[in-house]
Amino acid sequence: MQNTKPKVLIVDDEKGLRVGAQRLLSSEGYDVTTAENGSDGIKFGTETEFDLAVIDLKMPDIEGLEVLQKIREKFPNTVCFIATAYASYETAVEATRIGAHSYIPKPFTPEELISNLKDGYQRRLVNLEAEKWRKEREERLLEVAFEKTRMNTIVNSITDGVLVVNKDGLAVLHNPAAHKFLELTGIGVEEYILDKLKPEIKNLFDKLVNDKSAENKSYTIQLELKPNREFFIEATASAVRHPGNNVAGVVIVFKDITELKKIEFVKSQFVSMVSHELKAPIAAVYGFLKLFNDDSIKLTPEQRKDYEIRSMLRLDGLLKMVNDLLDISRMEMKTVHKEIKKVCLHEIISSILELFQIDINKRGIEVVFDKDNSAHCINVDADEISRLFTNLISNAIKYNREQGIINIKLYQSENYLVTEIKDNGIGLKQEEKQKLFTEFFRAKNEKTKNISGTGLGLSIVKRIIDSYSGKIEVESDYGEGTLFKVFLPKAISN
Amino acid sequence: MSTKKKILLVDDDLDLLEQNKLLIESKGYEVITANSGKEGFEVFKKTKPDACVVDLIMEEHDSGFILCYRIKNDEHGKNIPVFILTSATYDTGFKFGAETKEEKEWIKADALLNKPVIIDEFVQKLEAFFELKKL
Repeated sequence: MQNTKPKVLIVDDEKGLRVGAQRLLSSEGYDVTTAENGSDGIKFGTETEFDLAVIDLKMPDIEGLEVLQKIREKFPNTVCFIATAYASYETAVEATRIGAHSYIPKPFTPEELISNLKDGYQRRLVNLEAEKWRKEREERLLEVAFEKTRMNTIVNSITDGVLVVNKDGLAVLHNPAAHKFLELTGIGVEEYILDKLKPEIKNLFDKLVNDKSAENKSYTIQLELKPNREFFIEATASAVRHPGNNVAGVVIVFKDITELKKIEFVKSQFVSMVSHELKAPIAAVYGFLKLFNDDSIKLTPEQRKDYEIRSMLRLDGLLKMVNDLLDISRMEMKTVHKEIKKVCLHEIISSILELFQIDINKRGIEVVFDKDNSAHCINVDADEISRLFTNLISNAIKYNREQGIINIKLYQSENYLVTEIKDNGIGLKQEEKQKLFTEFFRAKNEKTKNISGTGLGLSIVKRIIDSYSGKIEVESDYGEGTLFKVFLPKAISN
Repeated sequence: MSTKKKILLVDDDLDLLEQNKLLIESKGYEVITANSGKEGFEVFKKTKPDACVVDLIMEEHDSGFILCYRIKNDEHGKNIPVFILTSATYDTGFKFGAETKEEKEWIKADALLNKPVIIDEFVQKLEAFFELKKL
């Protein structure tokens, strides 16, 4: 505080004293303000903070003690002196009780005043320093407390389970998710936890605590908590080390990997199914080739021709299936590049019907294509949409009866362009309807056993429709025929 | 063998059905065929074969098991061998890949044959069963 002048307030009704003190103190390097009565004293003393105040005890309007009190209320660090000629022990005690630093009896010499103020100013500086420290300390405590609750809140909110166990096996930190993963209702404060852990998890702890290699290793295990992939967790444990590298404890993080496991299962099921489906035509072709080369079996030329044709058909089917699988995988990986342009559905459908004309004629099927006069055009990938309707129309032909009818209708609803494809063929049983869009599902019964297919057509249809945020509905009764309704949004956002 | 032994072959893959029929016939057996589990049992009741060879996955993924169970619980069927044809997926894939002991006992199949059928191996197994029955 060397550069700032100590600020002093002199409150005294005696003009001579005010002027004298001001002169004296100004020359000593003080910044002096004077007040000629008690009310001014209160006014000045509470408006700005003074370092020091010298207050006359007896003034006509307000008692000096009251002035002192008011100033100290506002600025507790202003060091106040009471000055008066009516010195008495009682007033001195009373003055210091309500916060005066000291008592200056009148009349005083300039030296007395200066030495008192010097002393008071020192006190003021010490007080201010002390207060600064106190404030800092309080702030720091507050910060620590805040950090602690913040960390607790964060740890408690993590969906992964967190459990910290010290090297003696006491649980020092854990969150509600950990309780769930450990199947415990709660954990006591610093409770010995090792006994309550599953052996596999305890094993992680033992491995880390007994590991002397000082490497930063972590161990991960997967545990099936409920059978049939209903609840699967992954626990990863790593050591917390002291600076000297001794293990202080172990942090175990638990993660719910049920969904992952489900996907994994579906995937391997899919692979099994694909292998099985691919194996069937290979086995058939292999079998025919073996017959051709088996000397003990005499085939007639007609038989041989027949088996050659059948081998070709199986290979053909195999090829189709591989192509379908590649398409599905491309859609799955979203690597399909859509070439979006304006496509008119009635044109697409007409050209598909042309392609199928031979099959339609062969089975004596009648096609009724019913469209209103409005344009049925949307912005889509032409190849995809053509694939979609090819699969549906091909099904309507294959699963129809001889001399059956296919009704195709095109119309617009509020938000969708709707295409209906209806056959009056075999139809679907209730349980077949539910599995219809599943890969490799094919309705297998007496009526369908001679119909070839990959079992992937409708699955592809569904994927294409989904990729445009459309929907597909099926209405069918066994023996009556099937109706597919395809809804493509009019405004396709890409 | 004065009269040919009658083998019932059930498979929904018509190509494989025909191939196996030719192969088994070439070894001196009479072969009758059916191409679904349901039809298989009807043909079995009608023809009373001396042995059955049944594909596992037909209209359902376990059609072969069910057909085998029905044959084995039939008055005539309980005395004849029933072989189930499987492909390698039997061991690796589907839900029926992990039949429990109880299920296997329930099914009572006499042997599981891997596809493709190695005909000599098949005949050997079949004849072993016929020998056993004679004793």
